[in-house]
Amino acid sequence: MDLKIFYNIHYEMPLGIPIALYFYLTGLSAGSFVISVISTIGGRKEYKPIGRIGAVLAPLLLILAPFTLIVDLEQPPRFWHLFLYLNLKSPITYGSFLLTAYPINGLIYAWYLFKGNARLAKILGLIGIPLAICTHGYTGFILALGKGRILWSTALMPTLFIVSAMVSGMALVILAAAIRYAYRYQYTPVEERESDRALILNLGKMMGGMIIADLFLVGNDILVLLTSTQEALHVAHLILFGKFQPFFVGIEILLGGFLPMFMVFLPWTGRSLRGVVVAAVLVMIGVLAMRYVVVVAGQFLPLH
Amino acid sequence: MSKEKLQEKPEKKAEAKVHYGMVIDLRRCIGCHSCSVACKAELESPPGVYRSWVKIIEKGTYPHVRKFFLPSLCNNCDNPICLTNCPVKATWKREDGIVVVDPHRCIGCKYCMASCPYDVRSINPLKRIVQKCEFCRHRVDAGIEPACVETCLGRARIFGNMLDPKSEITQLLATLPTQVIKPDLGTYPQVFYIEADLDAMNPMKGWKGDE
Repeated sequence: MDLKIFYNIHYEMPLGIPIALYFYLTGLSAGSFVISVISTIGGRKEYKPIGRIGAVLAPLLLILAPFTLIVDLEQPPRFWHLFLYLNLKSPITYGSFLLTAYPINGLIYAWYLFKGNARLAKILGLIGIPLAICTHGYTGFILALGKGRILWSTALMPTLFIVSAMVSGMALVILAAAIRYAYRYQYTPVEERESDRALILNLGKMMGGMIIADLFLVGNDILVLLTSTQEALHVAHLILFGKFQPFFVGIEILLGGFLPMFMVFLPWTGRSLRGVVVAAVLVMIGVLAMRYVVVVAGQFLPLH
Repeated sequence: MSKEKLQEKPEKKAEAKVHYGMVIDLRRCIGCHSCSVACKAELESPPGVYRSWVKIIEKGTYPHVRKFFLPSLCNNCDNPICLTNCPVKATWKREDGIVVVDPHRCIGCKYCMASCPYDVRSINPLKRIVQKCEFCRHRVDAGIEPACVETCLGRARIFGNMLDPKSEITQLLATLPTQVIKPDLGTYPQVFYIEADLDAMNPMKGWKGDE
């Protein structure tokens, strides 16, 4: 039967690229913080540089992240309402406290780490891990509670966000460690050079493992969407075959998922520093595409 | 929670004597857009934003063709997700069931717009805050009907207190088959349609944005 929409009002997308960018920045921060604490607590001497790199990157990124949120507000000068009029049911309220507590804790942690106070750094790091995971997990809840949007309202969303945060955080730490390696190449003795190199390659393997977990979750999500409601089928087609195919299938899944996973695990690229660095760059682009697809494709379907 | 309690409308207060709702009788709607015009005039909505509009679809092939109308507005849900998600409590439900937005408290984070399953909220481009249909609360408080109800020339819109057994809306709801949009979401919309078309209520029907 012929069916045409004759008149309907223009459809507006409330959340845009600043929000996707915000999710990306918090993800990078949470991921690099967790890597930093794991390598600090692990206690092995050769892991120390990773701990320091993560400790610097995490609070830096998280000081930038809230600005994207405040810029996105229609009334930026009213942002303090978030701390005064609390709605304890809203995930954004949790966010405003987590976004305050987590960078402060991260800065103190970094301070003690660089001062060499290992015991305090460990304690603060242990406090920081749940904070970091919550800071990124709550962004998943923001989307999951968006009841009308079929791509968002899944219980998988917070887990998916945390896992992709780990992936992108590891990629960022790998990049920073590789830059440090190249910069200090002339001044370091051969043994230290070797251990730094082995460390980056090991991180690459860990990243590969997280990519597998990430792809598994995305696959589950898509399979359920394909067999769920009419809207779910539409959104699955939209990202698999429709307008978002280049971003989702092309960049997020193939270029930012499968390709770096194979690069890290295959001996030819996995044992070369260049291969792992290229894989890390691809992963960072892939996760950025993932944030974009989730936020924008999630709001692409009409609701009326 | 017992089974009976789950079937009850949530947050229904025993002492409340007034609960406003609207019935839109589509047997009487002629798709003239008077309600949209009256709404814009009453609330001074700037160009580009609507608190109430009429969606029109056309079905069939000649000679068996018909247009179907769906006047759309905020459903003033009994269990609104925007109220749960607003971080600053700028939106809340009044005792009489109207869901309102406080223009002085809204920070414009647009989370309510993103989570509303009906997409009836919009940013006022002049005031830079979120606005939506509030059943013309200023008129209702003064004892007169909302602008769209008063202006509707077919008398397709019936507004009133759903807890008063003598009101027209209660009698219509009791005696005629009615529908709400997306009942499966558990939002309990308070705008009811008589003889609404399933395809007009389905946003995915006729949508071509994917191509």
